[in-house]
Amino acid sequence: MIKVTNLKKQYKEAVVLDVENLEIPKSECFGLVGNNGAGKTTLFRIMLDLVRATSGQVEIGGTDVSQSEEWKKSTGAYLDEHMLLSYLTPDEYFETLRKIYGLSEADLQAHLDRFTELFNDEIVGKKKYIRDLSKGNLKKVGIAAALMGNPEVVFLDEPFENLDPSSQVRLKKLILREKEASQITFLISSHDLNHVTEICDRIVLLEKGKIIRDLREKAEMMRELEEYFVG
Amino acid sequence: MFFQLIRLQLLKSFRSTSRAKSILTNIFLGFIILLLLSYVVIAGIFLQEIIKTLSGEVDPLGILNGYLVFFFLTEFTYRYFLQSLPVVDLESLLHLPIGKRRIIHVLLLRSFISPINLIALLLFTPFAFQVIRAEFGAIAMWSWVGAIILSSWILHWFMLWFKQRFEDSTIGLLVVIAVLVLGAGSNYLGWFNLGEIMKPVFDYAIQSPVPLLGLIGLFGFSYWLCFHYHVQNAYLEDLAGEQEEVRSSGQSIGFFARFGLAGEMANLEWKLIIRHKKSRTYLMLSAFFLLYGLIFYTNPAYTSEEGISTIFIFVGVFITGIFMIQYGQLFLSWNSSSFDFFLNRKDGVEALIRGKYLLFISISVVCFLASVPYVYFGIDILLIHMATFLFNVGVLIHFIIYLAIWKPKPMDLNKGAMFNYEGVGAAQWLMVIPMMVLPYVIYLPFSLLISDYAGLIALSVVGLIGILAYKPLSKINVERVYKNQYEISSSFRQEL
Repeated sequence: MIKVTNLKKQYKEAVVLDVENLEIPKSECFGLVGNNGAGKTTLFRIMLDLVRATSGQVEIGGTDVSQSEEWKKSTGAYLDEHMLLSYLTPDEYFETLRKIYGLSEADLQAHLDRFTELFNDEIVGKKKYIRDLSKGNLKKVGIAAALMGNPEVVFLDEPFENLDPSSQVRLKKLILREKEASQITFLISSHDLNHVTEICDRIVLLEKGKIIRDLREKAEMMRELEEYFVG
Repeated sequence: MFFQLIRLQLLKSFRSTSRAKSILTNIFLGFIILLLLSYVVIAGIFLQEIIKTLSGEVDPLGILNGYLVFFFLTEFTYRYFLQSLPVVDLESLLHLPIGKRRIIHVLLLRSFISPINLIALLLFTPFAFQVIRAEFGAIAMWSWVGAIILSSWILHWFMLWFKQRFEDSTIGLLVVIAVLVLGAGSNYLGWFNLGEIMKPVFDYAIQSPVPLLGLIGLFGFSYWLCFHYHVQNAYLEDLAGEQEEVRSSGQSIGFFARFGLAGEMANLEWKLIIRHKKSRTYLMLSAFFLLYGLIFYTNPAYTSEEGISTIFIFVGVFITGIFMIQYGQLFLSWNSSSFDFFLNRKDGVEALIRGKYLLFISISVVCFLASVPYVYFGIDILLIHMATFLFNVGVLIHFIIYLAIWKPKPMDLNKGAMFNYEGVGAAQWLMVIPMMVLPYVIYLPFSLLISDYAGLIALSVVGLIGILAYKPLSKINVERVYKNQYEISSSFRQEL
């Protein structure tokens, strides 16, 4: 589904990302971990064509992301608040996305129904602009938006950050359910090793822009990661 | 600690300039301020002569004292519009173990360092040297000048308190209007002469130090009032203002729905405009500028015997295109906080740009229709508006957008628009050139060689050609944004 080859990002002298080869098959849940500044968000931004790679390329569904825009139809992402329209209410925001994706009102309703539990009655129908929402609720809006329009690939940057414990559990369930039901390929970056090992089939560890571990064995993941992070 | 805070303030002003403003803008602003202040000094030096010439009397001091109160009323008005509140910096200091009182003292002190506070000093000191010193001696002179400067500075503290206390409230606006009416109206309508009532205070300041001492007391009191209020209200929820109520639905403009995705984006943009302080001000300004014509069309200096006064072309461009000129010059900066949203949709950026085109053209049509009553000043005016409208929509719009997408900068839409140069860079200054020159490049040759009406026809024809070529011309701008999308989006992701 996703193929990264010889990807490099350089700011003047400093190489912040250097990924030789990375392939993510369809419906895999791909976890990305690493310390601050390891290049997780940069990698996601390059994969989404938000930042230009110095060299190398990223393919989603067989097309180079910097060459066409076709892949955007089947790709959802929530990296940070810049991806929201903060001056709308959540309802208006979803309505706008509905028109952009060409969904019917029933489609939108069905989509939002899947998030009832996660939203916990704090998002839909509230007369509040997105810019005035709490960070946790902001994240929930972004995640729901990323999953709209039946995407095949979904990028989430730190989805568990700022969520309360029960929302974290609900989000985990939701991701697993979506993965089963719609064969979505998830790319998730996180600092929460417990969550990410629980939901992901594969975890890649970044250090200073380089992939230094590629873990696929569920049983081994936690031990290896703890070894790296705790020392 | 006190100096540490001042150092922080200095660092803040230095470092923010390199990010939000360009060097060019800063130099330009500094130059303008110096220029204006030097005008004030020159006016001060010649004040005696000016008063003598205007009034024809021999006692300039008496006349001046009689009119001083109007100077302060004017000062009240411009301070209301220009003076900004220092409390925006509070947020990042409030949680630190520094006394609130100390923070407020520093912030207030900083607000005091402003060219506005020099105006009274620069304007009246030369006059006092020339007139009062010669007649009454040095002590009288300083007493008089001191009284004036203190009055001006009392206004400074009073205004800080007043704006913080009544900002965005009806009472505040009513008070300002009352002051204006009182200042201009009372004299004009002959109810009472405010100047004559206040004259003895300043006359007395020459003979005795009592008014000066009184004003020193008042100065202390006004500082205390301002300080006390700020300390009492140094809480985040008081400073940030209340969360805005979501206004009722029906803010979408149904007409745009016909244009598909671009129409949807135009609707979004419209919501953006009415939900942010800065953009709302721009919209209100363009309504206000519709009245701009009244200044020119009624002025006998501009109405020529035959044909059309050349300056009217500029007025027409302004009236029918003010929104696209003002709002359009910051084309993408308006979306700086959510640009990734558009990048992340298929054809999102193109739809955004087409949506903006749609909005600009629609508002231009509205402005043109609203300017039709100017036909009262002659059918020529209507023809000028028609020609300039076509030219704006067909040609100028593409030029403005082309320049505006040259290195756009991020900005915060929730700050006010007055003297807020966030998002303004070199491109915004250069933009004046096509705006002023382009219409004349087309108009003047025809107007001079054939007739004024031929000039108008030329403008219209060029505009119509532009309208027909809308697709390829707008394509150029869309392509340009796509070409620079990485630079633009990364500059927008920076913190302000």
